[in-house]
Amino acid sequence: MWLTIYYIFCYLVFAYTLILLAGYMWLVLMSRLAQKQLDVNLPDDDTIKYLMQGSPLTPAVSIIAPAYNEEVTIIDSVNSIMQIDYPDYEIIIVNDASTDRTMELLINEYKLVEVPYDIAMRVQSKPIKRVLKSTDERYSKLIVVDKVHGGRKADGSNAGINVCSNKYFVCTDVDCIIEPMALYRMMWFVINSSKPMIGVGATMLMSNACIVENGKVVEAHVPNVPIPMFQQLEYLRSFLISKLGWSRINALPNISGGFGLFDTDVAVKSGGYDPMSMAEDVDMLLRMVTYMKNSGQDFNLALVPKVCCWTEGPGNLKQLVRQRTRWARGLFEIVSNHRKLFFNPHYGPIGALTLPYLFIFEFIAPLFEFSGFLFMIWLVFTGGVNWSAAFIIFGMIYFFSVFISFFVIFFDYKLKAVNWKHTKISYGKLLLATLLEPFIYHPLITYCSIVGYWRFIINTTAVWTPIQRKGVKKR
Amino acid sequence: MSTISFIKYYFSLGAAYVKYLFAFLLYKFEDFPNEVKVAALMTSICILILFFVQISLFWMSFMEKRKRKLRERIEKKWGKGMEYLVSQEASELLNEAQIADIFELDKEDPNKPLLKNNREKNMFVQVFYLYFISKRSEMSRTENTHTMLHMFGIPDYLEKEVSLGSMKHKVDALGKMRTFKLPISPWVINKLLNSKYLRVQRLAMYSNIMSSSDSALDYFETDFFDENCCIKDEIELGFSLQRRRKMGLKLPNLARWAHIQNNEKAQCMFVRLMRRFNEIEYCGQLKDLYNQTKKKKLIEEISRTWGYLHYVECEDLLIEALLTQPDDTKVAIMHAMTRLGTGRSIDALLDGFKNTTNPHVRYEALRCIYNYGPQGKALFNDLEQNASESDKKYFTFFHNPITLEKIRLDKEQAYHPSVETVFNG
Repeated sequence: MWLTIYYIFCYLVFAYTLILLAGYMWLVLMSRLAQKQLDVNLPDDDTIKYLMQGSPLTPAVSIIAPAYNEEVTIIDSVNSIMQIDYPDYEIIIVNDASTDRTMELLINEYKLVEVPYDIAMRVQSKPIKRVLKSTDERYSKLIVVDKVHGGRKADGSNAGINVCSNKYFVCTDVDCIIEPMALYRMMWFVINSSKPMIGVGATMLMSNACIVENGKVVEAHVPNVPIPMFQQLEYLRSFLISKLGWSRINALPNISGGFGLFDTDVAVKSGGYDPMSMAEDVDMLLRMVTYMKNSGQDFNLALVPKVCCWTEGPGNLKQLVRQRTRWARGLFEIVSNHRKLFFNPHYGPIGALTLPYLFIFEFIAPLFEFSGFLFMIWLVFTGGVNWSAAFIIFGMIYFFSVFISFFVIFFDYKLKAVNWKHTKISYGKLLLATLLEPFIYHPLITYCSIVGYWRFIINTTAVWTPIQRKGVKKR
Repeated sequence: MSTISFIKYYFSLGAAYVKYLFAFLLYKFEDFPNEVKVAALMTSICILILFFVQISLFWMSFMEKRKRKLRERIEKKWGKGMEYLVSQEASELLNEAQIADIFELDKEDPNKPLLKNNREKNMFVQVFYLYFISKRSEMSRTENTHTMLHMFGIPDYLEKEVSLGSMKHKVDALGKMRTFKLPISPWVINKLLNSKYLRVQRLAMYSNIMSSSDSALDYFETDFFDENCCIKDEIELGFSLQRRRKMGLKLPNLARWAHIQNNEKAQCMFVRLMRRFNEIEYCGQLKDLYNQTKKKKLIEEISRTWGYLHYVECEDLLIEALLTQPDDTKVAIMHAMTRLGTGRSIDALLDGFKNTTNPHVRYEALRCIYNYGPQGKALFNDLEQNASESDKKYFTFFHNPITLEKIRLDKEQAYHPSVETVFNG
């Protein structure tokens, strides 16, 4: 009987691996098809700007950036957001009752004064204490909302949604560095869509090794430090292969909370961000999809394959483990809260394909890997390993992993997703990360996922600890 | 060895190697279980594809370097001339000789074409396009641009691309021709109108609308837009109509097109275009549509258009509609009344303020009354003096210097009328 179980387990793992590899191959193919489509439909930045800049039809956008105790970076961050090149936008900074000098600095720097307000609380958030605008014409786009402490980014974002008056809003982190052309790139998909565009995602990368001048990234580099270097590769893979591939069939599973554009009406009607969720961005998108499908409306989702936003990621192991554990919990939460969407064709390709993929290959994969690892140890000690066969199978997995990461570099070069300062050096570093990742980074992420799942199961109270920012290099 | 036979040789060499590799794998793993054979096969395929990806990366890098060099050469040679031609200084009509002087064409070999092949022509177009869209002054003359492009043989090249190129090339070349305002031969347009790609069809239509002086422009006589209508269509159509007007050609009857379409988005688009191009002549034709339709967005757009174009004959219809329409449509109607400003609808606005509990509509009604000339101001003051405690919040917006600046009628926005930010009740 034990032998039967042993064989079943072995064949199950092998079949799972093959299906997983086939899934990745399919995503690579979809991503390539999406790129071919974008070759025709996505012109260069200058053309986009030329067509949209002078048109009265270019839709207005609200940029929402919640801030909590950001006194060190707040002025630089707001100045950076103001560098955005777009004809019609407003910036809403939501101060979540910071205990430091964030509010004071904002008031002094931008000459803010209180203005009358009467805001309908369309989505759930803590009460707003005051709304401030600048007396200086140069900062007329800026609105600062001072609210009661909510403790979560989602609460601040919801307050921003309540205040925003435009048809589209972008949610970002106050410390993100936004590319000046980002809004043009995102809105291009909106003006080209014949169906309602409910969300547009944008490629985000790590700013850890970038050089910043006047709130703009002027030199893009791949970090030299291992943890951020692996993450840079991971981000590129996620955006240029996975998300771009899914966007080809209008089944984008996630629009990053760091920089994503949403339709305000649809976001409000689906309840906005959930302040209690650990993966509030995926959660809101899935609720928006549910709302659209249940009300019988068709919709579009898109992804901009060019880098639009830079964010500082975890710089050391401790921070990475904390972040990824939280993400794993978020994934578990999504699987449990939105289970009715999974394997449900009523919700279109997202329900029928993306979420099942997410469940089988993202959610279950760490469990398989972990159990496989334990099983391997047991086999080593009992002498049950056929080493030559094992090496062949490990080789397959390793080369496939390298193969996928290599495509990332290929796609990056083809799409000109990132304007690297030194392309060859950057690709060299990414290649190094590609070769080492399966041995170092991937097992670490698997460990974090297992810990995250365990914490979700035993219901440990989630503590949101923001990443300690080192700050970017400035020229 | 010619290039083709060189490629053939290496291709056959590669194929032989792949065959050998698989044969070796089959031999090597003959005694192994099937799963190991599968793994070995997959590994080999991965390595092979990796090899090809690497080659294509090098190839792409090589091609880009060539492109960069070509771009630099063209920019160095003719960049100054291009810049001059799109600048304010080139406001006078120039002849070929003058343009040749600017571009220093006397230095070129007269026996050779200025641009040798399509690759150079393509790069020339790209470089000039960038100057054109980023540095062009309103004072510069389109005729000069056309003369220069003809001297370099660009119109013929673009027309060839449009008629013979792939979908990508077609769209790209057509876009460039539209940007440079180059005329497109009717036979090319006719060919493109039958294209299997919707996008190419539409671009051809817009190009024809832009330049055709005798066509009946009957494209939208059928329910053409169906479900596929986006903001980009409106931008393109607007661009074509603007060009048509500049050339002194009559605009088509947009109200009639709005009647024919079934898609609400397309109908709204044509009504908005009427507003943008001050087409008051056909405003009367919208009355039937206004009475018959139940589409909220369309009613909003028609009301707004009447207001913008000061079509006072519709005022009774608007007053009537204010009583029957739902809250979200009322705002556009009230703004239209205020723009008409005849003095007849001030009572209707007051009713609009009193007969609703929706704070957003109440605020908008007050904003319209405030903007309704001296008569409105007097009513506003009266309302303020007699305002209840709960209503006082609306009036505070009109006393704050920052929000007061923004209290004006809705600006021209395509799909979402702007509302004062701090009030979205």
